[in-house]
Amino acid sequence: MLFSLLLPGCSNLFSGITAQLADGLSESIMSSSDIETVREGIPAFLLLIDGLLESGAKTPELLVSAADINGSFSVLVEDKDRLKILSAKAMRYSDQAACVAKSKLCRARELTFPEYQTVVANLSSKDLLVAYSLGTSWVGRLQANSDDWAVISELNRAKLLMERVVELDETYQDGRAHLYLGGIETLLPKLMGGRPAKGKAHFERAIEIEERFLLSKVIYAEQYARLVFDQKLHDRLLEEVLSADPVAGRFTLTNQIARKRATVLLESSKDYF
Amino acid sequence: MKSKIVRLLLVFCFLPLFASGEVFKIATISPDGLGWMSKFRVGLERIEAETNKRVTFKIYPGGVQGDDATVLRKMRIRQLNGGVFAAGSLTRFFPDLQVYNLPLQFRSYEEVDFVRARMDSYISDGLQKAGIKTFAFTETGFAYLLANEPVSSLADLRKLKAWIPDNDPIAAELIKSFDVSPIPLNITDVLPALQTGMINAVVGPPSVILALQWHNHLTHLMNLPLVYIYSMLAMDMKVYSKASSTDQDTVVKILDEVFELVGRETRSDNERALQALKKIGITFVEPTDKAEWQTAADLSVQKLMRSGEISGEVVNTYLELLKNFRSIESN
Repeated sequence: MLFSLLLPGCSNLFSGITAQLADGLSESIMSSSDIETVREGIPAFLLLIDGLLESGAKTPELLVSAADINGSFSVLVEDKDRLKILSAKAMRYSDQAACVAKSKLCRARELTFPEYQTVVANLSSKDLLVAYSLGTSWVGRLQANSDDWAVISELNRAKLLMERVVELDETYQDGRAHLYLGGIETLLPKLMGGRPAKGKAHFERAIEIEERFLLSKVIYAEQYARLVFDQKLHDRLLEEVLSADPVAGRFTLTNQIARKRATVLLESSKDYF
Repeated sequence: MKSKIVRLLLVFCFLPLFASGEVFKIATISPDGLGWMSKFRVGLERIEAETNKRVTFKIYPGGVQGDDATVLRKMRIRQLNGGVFAAGSLTRFFPDLQVYNLPLQFRSYEEVDFVRARMDSYISDGLQKAGIKTFAFTETGFAYLLANEPVSSLADLRKLKAWIPDNDPIAAELIKSFDVSPIPLNITDVLPALQTGMINAVVGPPSVILALQWHNHLTHLMNLPLVYIYSMLAMDMKVYSKASSTDQDTVVKILDEVFELVGRETRSDNERALQALKKIGITFVEPTDKAEWQTAADLSVQKLMRSGEISGEVVNTYLELLKNFRSIESN
């Protein structure tokens, strides 16, 4: 049966999506080239934004920012328990944002799958802010809880939301919904039910929409090229990342993280392929 | 730790190629990120270190070398030396290995452990005589029936449009034993088929149902383990024998350790997945008449034996062990 050995360690299904994609950090943080300073500085920023929200100013925009920064910070965190806390907080803020914005997505996660499908299908472009935020927080929750089958069971709900974001505006947030979808479609090889070809198309579209965002190429290499055993593509993508100028406005911080990961992947290329 | 290993491997890359060493090429459909693969790779690194690189492995993950049948074909022409297979894929080498897959015979993990402790070596010896070297078998787990309506009797089951994987003799036999006309599909087509209603029932281990997101289109689980599934790393014996007997001992020691650990983890993973199915709202239905299911399954076992697809001797030994275990348990 084709099932064989899918099981052992399905709990690690999500470890491959390189990291929670960094979204929505303030311009100055995102433009920084100094990963360590940001790592040390963000907790203060998190406390600040929690405080702002507690003081009563709960707008969808602020809640989405709070969700994004909690989710984004996970890229710099290695402790698994801390990741779970951060992702749960991001999810809570995204959920709240949906309700404060009076979106159809408010409490939609509690619906049955067919009901949820209908809600998502009826979203419009005015829901993009909360839909994308909920989608990204959800992927973060999946990554942080990849040992929890009940959480893994939610994967297609998050995917459905990201697909709807792409339908409504594929260029939203520099086309990053494509990147999330690329990651999701390449979790499993074709023989185990994955859809790598579809994932590839999403990765390429994400790169077309915003080439300066170098993490796209890193995730494309790690998730797709390794999955289909295409060393040429793998090495080319990573070399492109390493030769590109990482300083690119709001992509700078993520690009620095992308370069670090690209170096590690390229070093292990010979051994893997 | 990981970077240390990477550095270590990089150093090894620059060492002269050990002309006398054996490089075993192994394929699997599993992607590299899965937990068992990480343990497998760590085990292979230990083998390389303990044999001073006289034995090394090259892994082709993610099904890049094709499905089980293709990998076996490539093993024949020595393009590959082994693969991680579902036990059913190796039936033609030793048909008796199907004994663990007989429908509705194993009823609990305790029974599995009792019987396997006494019969695994019979299966691995049988395979070895047919030129296939195996290591500790790995449990894939019990498969359950899930549908989008309640199923508790055979009559309920026969109304369903049930999926089986194409080219899967064990699944085909299982479903035939209950007199059901199955719909064979490639695994990638199952989700769309569930979405469109082309099928409305599947049989699989809980973790597979969840990982592939089929549960979103299913509402009920029949709380009866239908079939036990297992898999194994299998290698071409002739190629494997090129390693010295000392090195073979090292390989066996380490890989048995790895796969036994993987098997234990899979079991607890499946248990957690079963609980998760309940938690997310799948209704567990008890079979109304277990005897009815058992009679149909027993008949199919008799049929298999009569057809010569499995030896009567192995089935009788197996059933005798189960009987022994149950009598010990009841006392």
